[in-house]
Amino acid sequence: MISLTPEEKKVILFLLCLAFCGLAMSNLIKINSKVEKAIYPQVHLTKVDLNKVSLGELVRLRCVSEKLARRIIEHRDFHQEFASLEELKDIKGIGEYRYERLKEVFFVQ
Amino acid sequence: MKRPLALLALFYCLGIILSNLLRINFWVIMCIGLTIVFAANLLKKHDYIFFAFVLFATLLIGVLSLKNSCTLSNTHIVNFAYPGAWCSLSGFIDSFPEPKDKHIEFIFRLKEAQIEKYKWRCCGRVLVRTEVRQKLNYGDNLMLIGNLQPPPALVPIRGSYKNFLARKGIYLVMRVKDPRQIILKPGKRGNKLVGYSFWLRSKVEQAFSRFLKSVPAGILSAMVLGQKHNIPWLVNDSMVKAGTVHILVVSGFNVGIVAFMANLLFKIMRIPRRGRIILTLACLVIYCFLTGASNPVVRATIMGIIFLSAYLLKKQPDIYNSLSTAVVFILIINPQQVFDIGFQLSFASVFAIVCLYPKLKKLIRLDTCKIKIWRFFCEGLLVSFSAWLGTLWIIAYNFHIIAPVTVLANVFIVPLASIITLCGFTLAVFGLVCPALANLFSFPVSFLINLLLSLNAAIIKVPFAYFYL
Repeated sequence: MISLTPEEKKVILFLLCLAFCGLAMSNLIKINSKVEKAIYPQVHLTKVDLNKVSLGELVRLRCVSEKLARRIIEHRDFHQEFASLEELKDIKGIGEYRYERLKEVFFVQ
Repeated sequence: MKRPLALLALFYCLGIILSNLLRINFWVIMCIGLTIVFAANLLKKHDYIFFAFVLFATLLIGVLSLKNSCTLSNTHIVNFAYPGAWCSLSGFIDSFPEPKDKHIEFIFRLKEAQIEKYKWRCCGRVLVRTEVRQKLNYGDNLMLIGNLQPPPALVPIRGSYKNFLARKGIYLVMRVKDPRQIILKPGKRGNKLVGYSFWLRSKVEQAFSRFLKSVPAGILSAMVLGQKHNIPWLVNDSMVKAGTVHILVVSGFNVGIVAFMANLLFKIMRIPRRGRIILTLACLVIYCFLTGASNPVVRATIMGIIFLSAYLLKKQPDIYNSLSTAVVFILIINPQQVFDIGFQLSFASVFAIVCLYPKLKKLIRLDTCKIKIWRFFCEGLLVSFSAWLGTLWIIAYNFHIIAPVTVLANVFIVPLASIITLCGFTLAVFGLVCPALANLFSFPVSFLINLLLSLNAAIIKVPFAYFYL
């Protein structure tokens, strides 16, 4: 029989814990799909909601200049909300290149 | 003198920094250096004077190293190519071809160049951006036809992108848009070990993206493989603000896990102690290449090699000496790395932890505390505070941000990131060996990453969490 050090035993326990957690989570997702929200990162953690972000937040984020942030908010206020991200292209100062960049930062629900 | 190597490394670094300010000819400094060595030889009976001369000579070696690394060879492509020059280049791919937004980027090592009708053997490295979706690998022999341009000088942090590339020995960029501009030649070049490491990296990345959704896969790739290209902008931004962005970089902790896992595997395979250590050392080197051999990984790998070698030789390793060896090793290969922010942050944080943490621990008499959880929390707080103090000035100078919340954030984020890294390595191994189990492991990994992101997003909402300078 192989003799294991305490560290090696910890590794085996770690793997077992991981397998049990995996099984439990897999089962929970099947029973209740809402559990998915706790397991997979939601879009608001990785992108900014263009219809909810305030001017102050947009300026603080520093992903666009203050001038452009104002234009984005003005456009949103005028049209009530962004129906799709494509609408960003209608704003002066957002060309194809910048749109591709901003697509990675914003989302529209 | 207890740690002469640390002092020599310090003087070598100072020499490199001084070289950037001095406008003295290389050969003049060389003559001064040789005179100093001659004087040291004459005065070798007086220990202190001899060592002072040695330190001064080391400083001059630092000055000369930088000057030498900035001097380009006569056959360097920069000496021949002019902006907009239409040329044909022969050579091989010298880096992992990394997919960016809409293009693939790689470093091309030149062997031969042709501009108009003139053809000659040349050297140098060119950054290639190709929109052609062709399968390219490290070491592929290519012929590229296109325009050579100087790199654009855009980058948000201090020092431009141009300087960043220049530190890597890249002075020209080539854009390739048409498949006819890339001609694949037979044969492979480059280091075989590096080639295999890159192959393994792509396999692990594939395993991550197969078992995880895009965001957790991107974050795990950064934490385990050091590949940050799939990190969402908002995640990176919020981690910069919380001062926890270092968890997205491969560091000493990852190297430690690799060493531990490799050692365990070889032990199960009943390999004797000496062979086990040598094989573990080989694994560390492969992992270093696999992660792209960035400064923090090279530092951690060298320190790991020194510690394992000491274990092999049954000697007591000294952390200051191993840290100094890592500094000297990186700077001898490329002295310009001393100006790299990654290099500065990596060494400053480790040095601050090694130097400040024991003193702070003694100061607040933490050893007398009997509540284990409280002691563990305080230790984490002190390590985090030491690292924050050590890197504060570099971050403030380069990124114009001070984040007091970093100290508290790291107490929670670092243990969580450590568990994620451990799970990430487990997922990588099982993803390659046993995909069925890997699928099972992917759920806890995803959950932990979600927890990490939520915690980080909550931390930066604390009042006065960060402020821009």
